[in-house]
Amino acid sequence: MYERILIPTDGSDVAEVAVDHAVDLANKYDADLHALYVADTEAINLTLGTEQVDRIREGRFSEMPELREDAEAATGHVSDAAAAHGIEVVEHHSGGVPHQMIVQYAEENDVDLIVMGSHGRTRVGKVVLGSVTAKTLRSTHIPTLVVDYKGEF
Amino acid sequence: MMGPVAALLPEGLNVSFKLLPAIIVVAMMSSFLVIGYVFKVADTADMWVAGRSIGNVENGMAIGANWMSAASYLGMAALIALSGIYGLAFVVGWTTGYFVLLIFLAAQMRRFGKYTAPDFVGDRFNSDTARALAAITTFLIGFVYSIGQARGMGLVGLYIFGDLGIPGLSGYQAMMILFMVITIGYLSISGMLGATKNMVFQYVVLIVAFLVGLLATGYVTGYSTILPQIEYGQLITALSAEFSAPFVHASYYLWIATAVSLVFGTAGLPHVLVRFYTVENERTARWSTVWGLFFIALLYLSAPAYAAFGTSLYSNNIGPTYGDPGMSSAAGDVIVVLATQLAGLPSWFVGFVAAGGIAAAVATVAGLFIAGSSAISHDIYANIVKEDASQREQLIVGRIAILALGLLTIAAAFDPQAPIAALVSYAFALAAIVLFPMFFLGMWWENTNRPGALAGMSSGLVLWLIPMLNEGNFGLVNGGAGFGIEVISTWMPAIGSALIAMPLVFVITIAVSLMTPEPDEETKQMVRQCHSPEPMPRNMTAEEMVARRTDDAQPSDD
Repeated sequence: MYERILIPTDGSDVAEVAVDHAVDLANKYDADLHALYVADTEAINLTLGTEQVDRIREGRFSEMPELREDAEAATGHVSDAAAAHGIEVVEHHSGGVPHQMIVQYAEENDVDLIVMGSHGRTRVGKVVLGSVTAKTLRSTHIPTLVVDYKGEF
Repeated sequence: MMGPVAALLPEGLNVSFKLLPAIIVVAMMSSFLVIGYVFKVADTADMWVAGRSIGNVENGMAIGANWMSAASYLGMAALIALSGIYGLAFVVGWTTGYFVLLIFLAAQMRRFGKYTAPDFVGDRFNSDTARALAAITTFLIGFVYSIGQARGMGLVGLYIFGDLGIPGLSGYQAMMILFMVITIGYLSISGMLGATKNMVFQYVVLIVAFLVGLLATGYVTGYSTILPQIEYGQLITALSAEFSAPFVHASYYLWIATAVSLVFGTAGLPHVLVRFYTVENERTARWSTVWGLFFIALLYLSAPAYAAFGTSLYSNNIGPTYGDPGMSSAAGDVIVVLATQLAGLPSWFVGFVAAGGIAAAVATVAGLFIAGSSAISHDIYANIVKEDASQREQLIVGRIAILALGLLTIAAAFDPQAPIAALVSYAFALAAIVLFPMFFLGMWWENTNRPGALAGMSSGLVLWLIPMLNEGNFGLVNGGAGFGIEVISTWMPAIGSALIAMPLVFVITIAVSLMTPEPDEETKQMVRQCHSPEPMPRNMTAEEMVARRTDDAQPSDD
């Protein structure tokens, strides 16, 4: 049923609630697992400065130790969880608008299931903050499993 | 020289809605967005693949665009027109600062290799308090700097859109609020677009608007032909002595104080320094500074000519520039636009020059607000308050910071007490007093330590505030009258307070550092690494170099 499962993660608790689900599914279906970290360029623009967005665009990610560590920790967490079941994970790091990069990666790599965490936010919260998960759902036809952060506790 | 402004309305300026200039302003702003979109390097599908890097000339133009604000475009000519020779302190200050930057900081900052100015302060002095102080200063600089920009947008906007007639608001206030809202809107989309390419384009548009405006004004009035920057000299004898005689409007001391404040403020401004962390290598850092200075100088060598033409046209058409009442500071602030209008050039052309002034203000405020937002979201929130904050959370904090900056600026620019260039120089004084000593000592004297930096920065903030409150800025003291203590306003004027305060901060930082334990060996090595004569691999920070060397030096366990 599923051959390639994608788990997008930003390393947050919300993203990581989905990891167990993804690993379990990958185990059952004997699927490949891909972990994707997207450096949100809009966030970087406001938090590190516009010049840093250029730096990422130039592919000089290796010069940005803190960001690199965040990215590696986020996808590394997926690899660690999967290693317990003997599953290998393809880790990938990219930069851009998160939901667009997730969909682009999924389509280019023939992913057949996306598993991601979500905030169980109130309606107001969704309007104000938006949600990468909701935007991803709206922009892809690939089956997507959403794991609610609040539902897990 | 700069008394309280009654009603902010530039006399002589044609205040009415003009269709063609309005279209030009809208077209100019949207072209920035379109160019940004065109150069948007899709997205970075794989961040480990190197792309094309940005060259010296492009970096130089980007420095120019980031730098050239309403203060350069409008304010400098304004102060020269209003105060003659005194205004030259701005030409001198804002160019000389780049030499200090080039010699002492640009390449060294590249070696240190962090993201923001507070990052440097926090990591160099190994202190979250120092980081927070630097972040608060960065936020304050963004706020104070933007007040002058808001004033510029509001005044120039009057030429293009006229008095909007919103009840309860003056024409200036309505226009200022409108453009601040546009700036925040622009900011929210421009960041996702190609940053440096966009700035290069902005620079070209701004400099063309300014230089073509000057050439045309000089040509149609017969003041100059092809080189107004030099030819305006012939006008000097015809202008009243107040324009050309030294130290009529301000004392020799005030001139020096202002110039010193501006020189070291330039070398301490976070939104200028940020580019040096990111350029490809040290050589690029140096050459970008040189090109940046060249591109900025194109404007600065032309501003005095614009001021001279404006002063002459004002005297011939409106009334005596000096004396009572003389030219108001509001008219002075739009002298570039006013001169073009009084020269009888068509309104679309005047609109083009005016649009350049507005675009300069919008682009610089965008840069300042981003520096302020990163100080709050990256330096305070993600580094101190919540260390594992996600990108999303930081983004939200950053947006709130920008909104706060926008509201603060609007409130403070409602009835600004001084011309654009003076307002902006308060921010330069702050950068020169609080941040420059930290960068300079932190980079060049390895024994500067945490207690020294904390003492220096906190006393610097107080020293900056004293003249600000004394002169009644922000309307906080005596309903805007200030303490009015004569000794302070004479010897430590807010516009040039760094002449006294910056050396004091140096002394305090050095004295406290000497009295307290030296920083650890690792920090000292990091400082040495930043200006060691040996070349350094470009993809490493000074911190990583030191870590690698320490690892090598230690005998391994097996």
